[in-house]
Amino acid sequence: MSIDSVLLIALTVLPFVGSALSSTLHTRARTAAAILAGVFTVGSLAATIALYPRVADGSVFKFALPWLPSMGLDISLRLDGVSWLFALLITGIGALVVLYARYYMSPQDPVPRFFGLLQAFMGSMLLLVVSGNLIQAVFGWELTSLFSFLLIGYWYHNANARDGARMALVVTSLGGFCLLLGVIILGGIVGSFDIDVVLAAGPRILASDRFVPALVLILIGAFSKSAQFPFHFWLPHAMAAPTPVSAYLHSATMVKAGIYLLIRLWPVLSQSDVWYYGVSTAGLITFLLGAFVAIFQNDLKGILAYSTISHLGLITLLLGLATPAALVAGVFHVLNHATFKASLFMAAGIIDHETGTRDVRKLSGLFRAMPYTGTLAIIATAAMAGVPLVNGFLSKEMFLSETLAVHSGTFTDLLLPALATLGSAFAVVYSVRFIHQVFFGPKPTDLPKEPHEPVVWMRLPAELLVLVVLVVGILPGRSIGWLLESAVRSVLGPLTPHYSLAVWHGLTPALMLSLLALAGGTTAYVVFRRYLSDSPEQGPPWMGRIRARRVFELAVDGLSASARGVLRVFGTAKLQPQMLVLTLVALGAGLWPFVLEAVRGAGWHLPIGPVSSPLEGPAYVVIWIMGAVCALFAGYLAKFHRFAALITLAGTGLAMCLAFVWLSAPDLALTQLVVEIVTTVLLLLGLRWLPRPEPAEERTLSQVLKARARRVRDLIVAAAAGAGVAILAYAGMTIDPANRLRADSLRSFFVENAYAGAGGRNVVNVLLVDFRAFDTMGEITVLGIVAVTVFALLRRFRPPRELLGGTKQQLAQAKFDEVAADREVGDTAAEFLYVARTAMHVMFPVLAVFAAYLFMRGHDEPGGGFAAGVTVAIAFILQYMAGGARWVEERLRVLPVRWIGGGLLIAALTGAGAWLFGRPFLKSYYEHVELPLLGDVALASAMLFDLGVLLLVVGATVLMLIALAHQSIRAPRSSPERKADEP
Amino acid sequence: MGVDLATQQLGGPIASQLVDLSPHLPVLPVVLPLVVAALMLFLDERRGILKAGLGAATLSALVLVSFVLLNTVSGDADGVIVYRLADWAAPFGIVLVVDRLAALMLMITSILALASFVFAVSGWAIVSPRFHSLFLLLVLGLNGAFLTGDMFNLYVFFEVLLAASYGLLLHGSGRQRVRAGLQYIAVNLGSSMLFLFGVGLLYASTGTLNMVDMMRVAAELQGGDVTVFRAGLAILSVAFLTKAGVWPLSFWLPVAYPAATPPVSAMFVIMTKVGAYILLRVTALASGVPETGLVEFLSPWLLYGGIATVIFGSMGVLASNQLQRIAAYATLITAGTLVAAVGTGDARAISGALYYLIGSTLATGAAFLISELIARLRTVESPAASEPVVEPVFGDDYETSLEDFEGYEVGIAIPAGTAMLGGAFVTGALVLAGLPPLSGFLAKFAIVRGVLAGTVSEVAAWVLAGAVIFSGLATLIALMRKGVEAFWRPGEETTAEVRSLEALPVGLLLALCVALAIFAAPVITYLDATSAYLANPVEYARNVLETGR
Amino acid sequence: MELVTAIGIGVIAGAGVWLILRPRTFQVILGLSLLTYAVNAFLLSMGGLKLGAPPILESVAGVDPSRHADPVPQSLVLTSIVISFSMTALYLVVLLAARGLTGTDHVDGEEPD
Repeated sequence: MSIDSVLLIALTVLPFVGSALSSTLHTRARTAAAILAGVFTVGSLAATIALYPRVADGSVFKFALPWLPSMGLDISLRLDGVSWLFALLITGIGALVVLYARYYMSPQDPVPRFFGLLQAFMGSMLLLVVSGNLIQAVFGWELTSLFSFLLIGYWYHNANARDGARMALVVTSLGGFCLLLGVIILGGIVGSFDIDVVLAAGPRILASDRFVPALVLILIGAFSKSAQFPFHFWLPHAMAAPTPVSAYLHSATMVKAGIYLLIRLWPVLSQSDVWYYGVSTAGLITFLLGAFVAIFQNDLKGILAYSTISHLGLITLLLGLATPAALVAGVFHVLNHATFKASLFMAAGIIDHETGTRDVRKLSGLFRAMPYTGTLAIIATAAMAGVPLVNGFLSKEMFLSETLAVHSGTFTDLLLPALATLGSAFAVVYSVRFIHQVFFGPKPTDLPKEPHEPVVWMRLPAELLVLVVLVVGILPGRSIGWLLESAVRSVLGPLTPHYSLAVWHGLTPALMLSLLALAGGTTAYVVFRRYLSDSPEQGPPWMGRIRARRVFELAVDGLSASARGVLRVFGTAKLQPQMLVLTLVALGAGLWPFVLEAVRGAGWHLPIGPVSSPLEGPAYVVIWIMGAVCALFAGYLAKFHRFAALITLAGTGLAMCLAFVWLSAPDLALTQLVVEIVTTVLLLLGLRWLPRPEPAEERTLSQVLKARARRVRDLIVAAAAGAGVAILAYAGMTIDPANRLRADSLRSFFVENAYAGAGGRNVVNVLLVDFRAFDTMGEITVLGIVAVTVFALLRRFRPPRELLGGTKQQLAQAKFDEVAADREVGDTAAEFLYVARTAMHVMFPVLAVFAAYLFMRGHDEPGGGFAAGVTVAIAFILQYMAGGARWVEERLRVLPVRWIGGGLLIAALTGAGAWLFGRPFLKSYYEHVELPLLGDVALASAMLFDLGVLLLVVGATVLMLIALAHQSIRAPRSSPERKADEP
Repeated sequence: MGVDLATQQLGGPIASQLVDLSPHLPVLPVVLPLVVAALMLFLDERRGILKAGLGAATLSALVLVSFVLLNTVSGDADGVIVYRLADWAAPFGIVLVVDRLAALMLMITSILALASFVFAVSGWAIVSPRFHSLFLLLVLGLNGAFLTGDMFNLYVFFEVLLAASYGLLLHGSGRQRVRAGLQYIAVNLGSSMLFLFGVGLLYASTGTLNMVDMMRVAAELQGGDVTVFRAGLAILSVAFLTKAGVWPLSFWLPVAYPAATPPVSAMFVIMTKVGAYILLRVTALASGVPETGLVEFLSPWLLYGGIATVIFGSMGVLASNQLQRIAAYATLITAGTLVAAVGTGDARAISGALYYLIGSTLATGAAFLISELIARLRTVESPAASEPVVEPVFGDDYETSLEDFEGYEVGIAIPAGTAMLGGAFVTGALVLAGLPPLSGFLAKFAIVRGVLAGTVSEVAAWVLAGAVIFSGLATLIALMRKGVEAFWRPGEETTAEVRSLEALPVGLLLALCVALAIFAAPVITYLDATSAYLANPVEYARNVLETGR
Repeated sequence: MELVTAIGIGVIAGAGVWLILRPRTFQVILGLSLLTYAVNAFLLSMGGLKLGAPPILESVAGVDPSRHADPVPQSLVLTSIVISFSMTALYLVVLLAARGLTGTDHVDGEEPD
């Protein structure tokens, strides 16, 4: 890697290093931070200067590291004349600003933060201008927005700082995003993001049909950054930043980023009407508007801010004219403006610092107090106004002559020079006002501080800049001819026009216009100064009195408000609409393919395969009719007759069991049956805690109609959904067996391998504990999770007050006991259903044995761990029903959560046991043995797994039921802590 | 890889296998949390410390495991490991399949889980029982869903992770959570039903449950059976889209996520990604059997649904001024972006979207965690809204400002705690808004570039690109508003008390965000390989179906 | 026979859908249960309907697959029965909790205004 490459890297990296280091300093270490920043900035500056030879002749110096070839991105640094010019401004003025800021900032400020951010910004800006890759440039671009945001907000306790920062960030990053999009499109057209490749692809870009969108997006980016109309309004508010920031970011460098981009892409984009009209119009408007508004400012920084806007507009206009000579003028003015405007900001800062105010109406006659500063300010202002012998004059004159040179053959030929002169006149007005009001006139009264000269070091940076202003103004050719030449040549190459840098070109029309502007401006000020200084009525007459800040805030708020509106229309937080949408979408999705078929001309093809089994006996039909009718009743009764609805629901469940039996699925029937029982018990337990359903109270007719309409709608949707399900079910059932009975179809495989491979006759059970044991493991996990959740939730559950104190029946029994002489309260409850309860107690062992039986035979006959587990659970429930929670828990202590844990462990470890034999998880082994009563049983490791299932099911089911049951016996206001972890 | 695993499975002496878990790595992400969670059920709430330690250790182990898996597949020629459960080969048994994508998702999940868990144990874990077990079981469900190659097994794992998420959402109970839970559970139960309908139809038409095998058979179907298959897939996709939070099936998300406790919401961020992941997986597999025309059938819906989601999410972000809500909608934006990218079918867009997914998942998770810490800062009243719009000075109001500006010219030193918090906030914001220097910028670039250069119609491309860019701007505006309000308070110095156990996970997540930007090159290379691999599923299918035959 | 089954499933599903669109939590839970029945029957029928041929091998030698109903859907249904059972239980408890905490049994935890 050559020494120059190292320099190039250092040039960009050093500021970031400095920034990182200054974050390590103590918050009050002002001088240390300044020195640190100074060292790194000067280092960067030195690197820049040292690199000039590589670009002096308009050639390009590149350094690239491959990074992301797949995205066409590589880390590439690219230095040429124009980017060198910008780098010089950034580092040079940067160094001066650092020195200035050391004295400007107060010792109480957390200065290291300031310098850290300042250097970070410097680095980002350098990254932007020396980047050889458009995306990388955007990268730096966005970073500058970010750090500008943080710097403007440096004094964030001030409302203006906060708002200014927010506004700047929103506007510039809006532009930034547009720019990114535009650049991506541009890169897409060219096929590369490398700047050289893009610059070489001019014709292709202009030809592409994506050219205009790309150009527009890029322009939005550039305009927003460089404060061009209509994005100009953020800049004045950025003035809430500390003055060094205003001098650096918001006059010399960052606001020039957009200009840089326009210059950079000028060769490929400028030769189009969109560019010509768009850019020059925006520039012209900004130029006039800014200058005019600047006249009426009363804050020094306000004047400078609008003047900056106006000068940026001037440059933009020049670039918009799309002639090489105009470009030269533009580049030249970039340089000049940076120097004189930065020095002016510094002067304004000094005045603010030494007098305590920036209000031009309070200030006057300061020249006596601070002659040096006054002189500096006057010279710099002269440049701003375009007075001969300072640099501003030269570029201003170039500008005027370019406006004269335009020959588009339209009325603009005349209009443009006129407006340009007018704008220049405005510039003269605000410049003269600036100087006259601040430095001349009577001695100032009631200033917060007694004005005096600042320390010499604070003045030095301004002095140096003003020196440049003068030297360039008097000896342009000698002083910076070389610099301008290399910069321009790097952009225009062979197109570079002939131009002369001289103070005196003879009595050219441009000079005339220039003088006209000066004279006109001065007279205008003399005439209007009273109005300007005294009129309480602020602001430009007959110009909109809109406060951009409020408008902007309203716009942002409006955005949020409209977003809320959109959410209201296209979103909801309620359940019912969501269910409706879900149903409809699903229905649509399910039927869409059939519609497509129909559209494709296949007709309403329902795949009715050859399959259609004969209807064996009406019983099957009866079962389904029973199920369907029960379901309909459940739907009808659910609102007002919950108990009845529950019964009908159970009816449907029963019908399902029967259907399963019919459809040769005994296991399903069994499981469905036991689950049915438990579910019903659960629901019954829950029923007690629901409020008594009361018919809706008096409602207006419209409400009634609405409700009815809703019902009709839902009825239709439900019917449609049902029909859809039926259609799909039918379609699924009648699939062509040719497809279902493939040679290797799963069905035959399982049936054939159930015994041979897994030692079980009950293929379904074998599937559950062996082939698809992984499913079962997940399934019991779900059960366990739910049980734990239910328990955790019910621990916090507070029964609603009105439902406490027992059911009607309990109350009645209690009353009966009270009246009866020989009875204690509760006796009746204790004797209630005595026989049935005894029976239930007896049932326990019976059910236990039955469960064991189910479990053991599970592998060969219908049954298995789950069914057995639920059976055991039912046995427990019966005990609870019979004896009540207290009775049971006095006798046997159940720790369901442990059962759950144990079940899961056994299942998992059984599965993992296979690892010992180097087999995959859940691989099962089996052995046939003769057992008494049961005969030949395959003792498979799968049965151990099934045992885990059993334990978990018992634990989970019991836990849920107990947790619910306990609600009835828990004290009304018992605190959750009082209950132990286990019920 | 798959093959030599199979040969290893052909056994060997017990002794040599006792120590060697390496062939069983693919199943560990499921078994490990299960065992530990089960053990935890034996420890009651008084043993909180022990459980916390166990859980953290387990999750760290999972990070390790997923890292090893990721290395294996990325270094491997086939780029896939197939694990046959109960030693039955696909399509008869259930197989776990680890490829680059699955490994990546495992990685993200375990990292996010570790961070959220550590954050939780420093406070939230104790508000109601069994938190630690539920958390591990949620991780189990997620891992299973990412790993399984069997459609019905996927359903089971969806239920596992949903059940756990119900438990965790309700964790801490309370009016708002239970209300949110009521809705969240109902919607998800509905979508689970659809899942079963879908699976049923798929089985009816193909007679198999293995995802790869399904597609293979589907290619042979003729006549009406294809239609049935399509119907099944369409209904299934509706379920997935609901889980992914794609508009208009996404309304439950902004209700549920902010209601949960911060560490839980942080963990939930990954759940929407499961839906998107499956959609990506299915479309990828379908692209292997072009004759079924499934991709053409699904893609438009994904594309437009994704776009709608991105826009909806952006609107939500703009409308919210509560960090949890902003983060919830940001989750939608991510999911929408990924789904839309899948819809475009453009490999560059997909790898870009995946890159975005990694960063935004970590950042959103961090945002949920930070939201709690920020809540501890005192809130500041919004600026007076009564100022007149029309006022004498054009675009400038220093008249009002000059006076109060004087004497204000001294800045405030930010206390360390707040500074860290602010740094964290900015980092997360940069990732989500897609600003440099963090990964979001690169990701947005990759997506937009891929979309604009891709094969989708000009209009769709523009709309999607615009939506992605706009979502960035919306996020930026919302987060900036929030950040200024939280960190830039006039006058008083604000300090946030942050416990180290809380700072640690947040730091971890954001450090990873930064690392993601620094090591963009290797990551994106991996992702490009991933999307390239997805674009050509033949290898995948061969490995899944032929391992151990 | 397929027709009967399909219609039966459809009716049950329709009733379920109608209920999950209702505003009261109890209606919703019944609706979900009904839908569960429908889904399970649906799933089972997807293997084709076969009468009196349970997938239980009476003889261990020379089994003929075509003489047994498809076991796969049955195992799937078993799994889904268990899962949906637990979900029903969970939803029941959640709706009770919601009732306790919000004082209403409306699905949104608040009476519509």
